[in-house]
Amino acid sequence: MNETWRLNTLAHLGLWLAIAGVGTLIHILPLSGPEPGWPAPDLFLALTLAWVLRRPAHLPAAAIALTFLAQDLVLMRPPGLWALIVLGGSEFLRRRASVVREMNLLLEWAMVSAVLIAMTLAYRFGLAIVMVGRDPLDLSLARLAVTILVYPLVVWALQSVLRVRKPATGELDELGRKL
Amino acid sequence: MASDRSNEADFVRPVRRLVIGVLALLLLALFLLWRIDSPRVERFRTAVLDTVVPNMDWAMAPVTRVSRMVEDFRSYARIYEQNQELRRELQQMRAWREAALQLEQRNAQLLDMARVRLDPQLTHVTGVVMADAGSPFRQSVLINVGARDGIVDGWAVMDGLGLAGRIAGVGERSSRVILLTDSNSRVPVIVQPSGQHALLSGDNTAMPVLDFVENADELRPGDRVVSASDGGVFPPGLLVGEVAQGADGRTRVRLAADYGRLDFLRVLRSRPAEQIDQTGALLRPVDPSGTPLDPTTGVPAPAPLAEAEPDTATETVEPVPAVPLPGGAEAPVTDGSQNE
Repeated sequence: MNETWRLNTLAHLGLWLAIAGVGTLIHILPLSGPEPGWPAPDLFLALTLAWVLRRPAHLPAAAIALTFLAQDLVLMRPPGLWALIVLGGSEFLRRRASVVREMNLLLEWAMVSAVLIAMTLAYRFGLAIVMVGRDPLDLSLARLAVTILVYPLVVWALQSVLRVRKPATGELDELGRKL
Repeated sequence: MASDRSNEADFVRPVRRLVIGVLALLLLALFLLWRIDSPRVERFRTAVLDTVVPNMDWAMAPVTRVSRMVEDFRSYARIYEQNQELRRELQQMRAWREAALQLEQRNAQLLDMARVRLDPQLTHVTGVVMADAGSPFRQSVLINVGARDGIVDGWAVMDGLGLAGRIAGVGERSSRVILLTDSNSRVPVIVQPSGQHALLSGDNTAMPVLDFVENADELRPGDRVVSASDGGVFPPGLLVGEVAQGADGRTRVRLAADYGRLDFLRVLRSRPAEQIDQTGALLRPVDPSGTPLDPTTGVPAPAPLAEAEPDTATETVEPVPAVPLPGGAEAPVTDGSQNE
């Protein structure tokens, strides 16, 4: 029981890391230039938040921080700030995972939207404090809106494709305690 | 809220908090370090990218192939659209090709005609400007050709591009040119796309006024203005300039001739147009002694048939000297096969 649990957790963490790697790779590959219209949603961020709400044990805080720090470095963002904010947001949701477990998708969506908005504001605020050039406001707002809009799709993909669901009643963790 | 639900051991929560706090502090410190000492952190970033990115060649190859396949697929999807577009372009190209062929033929014809020099209006005398009137507007200039060179009062004067004025006063070896901007200058013109007749009257400004336009509403700025042969003053079709709206709201003409640099002027030998006062004679070639020739056989034909021809026929005579001189060496060859 313990061994399978640990393997299961590690496998899911590996899966998440693989998704991060592929997503970053697609970002930096010279596939196509910037296209006009709506910006692409931050799928990986939405996936991470949904995942943390479902299985907090799969994604340790250190993994999230390091992964987003690596993304910061590779994607030429100011290193550290976005990772810090994602860490804060994911920890906030992780604390409330047990509450969200009993919510329906609509309430969860609203909560995640609030967290995403707060994260975007905090990011811009942090950049503004140290006087670093920020993305255009309309573009980052559009990206935020698109990310919020695709969140249910991400949840659906997470549950049906990746088989990461909210723990059912009576499920036990690796130490044999009730989740 | 979490305390009653959480089943973590007692020591886990503080440790977790500590770890997260340390992580957050590290990230914040990195960000602030980047802000304070940007070059060092950027160098670190570059080093990370240098070590990571070259190892991605294996990832690049399939991705490149897949993206190329996607690109190919997209081009398949667009193929109908492309086809239509190409058809449209081909249609336009055909039209242009037709126009080019016609222009080529026309050009060949014109060159042919120019070589045989049948039109006396094409000849000119070029003179050098010796002096101008001295006013800032240069309303008249003196050129160094005169009666000795056959200059006649009233001939048109051009610079390289457009009409500049006309001869007014011929001396033995110099003549005076009244420019279009002179306040005494009145020149009949035609505005080209709408074909309206008008009078170009100078008023001592750089842009003469367009007077007596038939319908001023049809004028557009940029319309070409060419000379008209009304009154027999000028040969028709010489470029004068283009219509422009003056600062005072009147319709004016921006002259094509460069009045700022009048160095060489070209005097066109315009002969007065042939006065057609008898019928038939112009239609039929004559030999040097004046007796009409039969156009088909080339032998003198006694009866000019002048009275048999209706009078209206003279109006349809083309001014182009297309009547072939039988046996003449200068007979223009105008059949199309030679020009192809």
